[in-house]
Amino acid sequence: MKPFVCFNKVSHQYQSNTTHKVQALTDINFHINKHEFVAVVGPSGCGKSTLLKLITGLMSPSEGSVEIFGKTMHEPRNEVGIVFQKPTLLPWLSVLDNVTFPLKHQHGKVASEAKQYAMTLLKLVGLEQFAHQRPAQLSGGMQQRVGIARALILKPEILIMDEPFSALDALSREIMGFELLRIWEEEPKTVLFITHSINEAVLLADKVLVMSPRPGTVVEELPIDLPRPRNNTTLKHEKFAYYADILRDHIFQKHAALNE
Amino acid sequence: MNKALHRYLPILALLALIPLWELICYLANVPNYILPRPSVIYDAFINVDKMRWLEHLWATVRVAVLGFLLSIFISLPLAVLMVQSSFLNRTLFPLLVIIQSTPVVAIAPLLIVILGAGEAPRLAITCLITFFPIVVSTTTGMLSTPSELIDLSRSLKGSVFRQIWQIRFPFAIPHIFSGLKVGITLAIIGAVISEFVAAEKGLGYFVQFSTSYFKIPQAFAALLFLSIISLLLFQTIRWIQAIFFAWSLPAEEQK
Amino acid sequence: MPKRSSLPSLLFSMAALFTASLSLAADKVNFQLDWLPGGDKSPIYVGIDQGFFAEVDIEVRINQGRGSTEAITRIATGTSDIGIADIVALLQARAADNVPVKAVYSLLSQAPHAFVVKKEAGIQSVADVKGKKVATSPFTSSNIFLPLLLEKNGLKESDITLVKTDPGALGPMLITDATDVVISWLTSVDRYRSQAKQAGTELDVIPWYDAGLEFYATSVIASERFLKERPDVAKRFLSAFHKSVEFAFANPDMAAKAVNKKVPEADIPTAITTINSMRTLVYNSVSEKDGIGTITPERLQLTWQATAKAQNLNVTDFDPESVVDRRFYMEQ
Ligand SMILES: Nc1ncnc2c1ncn2[C@@H]1O[C@H](COP(=O)(O)OP(=O)(O)OP(=O)(O)O)[C@@H](O)[C@H]1O
Ligand SMILES: [Mg+2]
Repeated sequence: MKPFVCFNKVSHQYQSNTTHKVQALTDINFHINKHEFVAVVGPSGCGKSTLLKLITGLMSPSEGSVEIFGKTMHEPRNEVGIVFQKPTLLPWLSVLDNVTFPLKHQHGKVASEAKQYAMTLLKLVGLEQFAHQRPAQLSGGMQQRVGIARALILKPEILIMDEPFSALDALSREIMGFELLRIWEEEPKTVLFITHSINEAVLLADKVLVMSPRPGTVVEELPIDLPRPRNNTTLKHEKFAYYADILRDHIFQKHAALNE
Repeated sequence: MNKALHRYLPILALLALIPLWELICYLANVPNYILPRPSVIYDAFINVDKMRWLEHLWATVRVAVLGFLLSIFISLPLAVLMVQSSFLNRTLFPLLVIIQSTPVVAIAPLLIVILGAGEAPRLAITCLITFFPIVVSTTTGMLSTPSELIDLSRSLKGSVFRQIWQIRFPFAIPHIFSGLKVGITLAIIGAVISEFVAAEKGLGYFVQFSTSYFKIPQAFAALLFLSIISLLLFQTIRWIQAIFFAWSLPAEEQK
Repeated sequence: MPKRSSLPSLLFSMAALFTASLSLAADKVNFQLDWLPGGDKSPIYVGIDQGFFAEVDIEVRINQGRGSTEAITRIATGTSDIGIADIVALLQARAADNVPVKAVYSLLSQAPHAFVVKKEAGIQSVADVKGKKVATSPFTSSNIFLPLLLEKNGLKESDITLVKTDPGALGPMLITDATDVVISWLTSVDRYRSQAKQAGTELDVIPWYDAGLEFYATSVIASERFLKERPDVAKRFLSAFHKSVEFAFANPDMAAKAVNKKVPEADIPTAITTINSMRTLVYNSVSEKDGIGTITPERLQLTWQATAKAQNLNVTDFDPESVVDRRFYMEQ
């Protein structure tokens, strides 16, 4: 079976002004299989968000190609859903209308079946009682769940999440991690999950990509062989600390090497 | 503090000012042609026929509101254009600043020559004075839309129209309303200035008429009227925001 | 096909209606004031009220104004056909720009500029102003003639201390002795009189026309286009206007009432006072000799000389005669 997402020798440069160029990514190669959960970790500024923009098709790489379902990406596609770092809901719409917003934005109207499906998604993220409230009445974690439901409304095959829980407190963050796993098991998707947290990466992912500081490249692809379904006991699994240590070593060695 | 008291505090403060004003003018023996006392202003007020007041009032409110609506009608599309095109933004903005900083009074005679002696130059003057804050606040508001939402729109391949109508524009609503609140008070000023320059009716005209015949208390009565209209129109904008766009108010203003 | 024929037929019937209304109705004339209505503008109001214009089949619409320059501009651009403005402003406008407006009738054969002083100050002539403080408002046209007046009376500008201030402050300044002299128009002197009365003192007035400044002021002016296209209407208008002027000064209370009827803001007592205070500007030795309305070449030349001198223009560069058209008003 062909991989779902495939990066071939991808490099990306930003033209920050007329003379200056920023090399954000160099020579990125990896692939993601169907319904695989892949986490990306790396220091700030290494190009994680750039990677995301390339997968969503919002940008094309300066060099190399990004393929989805074996076809090169040229423009955004509905098969890819995005969850942002901040929930960025529309404050003037109800929770339900926020979830159906992508349909409204694409077609100008929302069919009643779509509304029904949105309700199903809200149930999935545990917010069906809040469907008719305004986002301002929800907590940060709840808002981010609405963001997830919004990303799922177009039934994407691939879900891209850019540090989705980084704005949450530690406790909500852990809860949301398990919630995400539950949702992922109920609605299996191919997930690319960008995070700063090593523990979060190990807990959630099938495979973790470690990126080096700028210009970012993938320095390690680490398969996480922990049993599923994962839950609180996973954190105490003997291999959990082992994986976390490997990742930590990779990230900090690189830093140490740079500092010398 | 009692809730009703709290609510009417601004009005009570204004009312408390009246006896104070009367007293100071009385004690300092201020002549009426410098600062008339409230009682003298009141006399001047009732000396003018009610229908005349209404006629002047209506003329000014009409020019202010129509000029204001016209400026909204011009400002919003202009803001959209400037947000969509950095070229237009860079070329139009200096132009708008120039228009805004030109004293309208100086070009008013020109406007009358171009637009004739009817209501058109008055609307144009009001509009010229009003539109700048609305354009600026709308542009700022639309540009403050979170970039994630613009990314979302692009990833959905939403049309430019929908990007503006469904995302940028609603996001700008709080900013637009700040612009409208500044704009509506300027609209009254604009209407009055335009009546100084060309009118045969209106409170501005009436003020001019009164001062040019040294009827200062009568001018003050008209000025107080103007302040009241400004307050009411300002309040109307707040009501509109509170009723139709409650979500756009800061949390402490939402009831 | 009714659709195709309806538009032309509609246009045709409209045109027919239009020409019909033209041939039936009186001649319409837009009359331009040079300022807000008041007693000094009463002739046109009382003329309409008394039916003098209707008698000659003219329907007058009055446009209020904001200064002579604006009035000239509005007549030049066709917003109004005919109106009143200071002939000095017209001379300047024609010398600079050759605006298509002509003077056709002289209303004030003397200029209204004057000094106002306290009676007790003992100032009796312009020469007495030497060494005194003089206050004026920044925008009055009197200011431009002040140097000329001083010169004609053997004074230099440095002989007085001139203060420009808000018109509303002039009266109080005079009463409180913050200034010795105030420059005012004769038509506004009564304001100062009533303020002085409240303060228990009396005022004296020194008109500049008594001190060597002899020239025309407010006149009836008309656009060249109006004079060319409707000469007959212009003639009828001026004869009715003249009748109105005489009526207004013979019946100040009726004239004041006529203004008040159209413009309630202009109260009757003030208007009567204004009419009476401007009487000498209309009925004087000049009008006695030449007749009201007449613009003589000699006095027009004097007016231009004063204007040119005051404005630092070359007197010989411009012929003031080009500003007048005498074909439309003939003394009865
Ligand atoms: N539009 C842009 N123009 C120029 N340079 C950019 C642009 N966007 C990002 N960069 C640069 O590219 C590099 C990678 O940025 P990116 O946002 O992808 O990093 P990141 O890994 O997502 O960082 P963080 O963890 O802080 O979110 C950074 O050095 C940044 O300065
Ligand atoms: Mg990032």
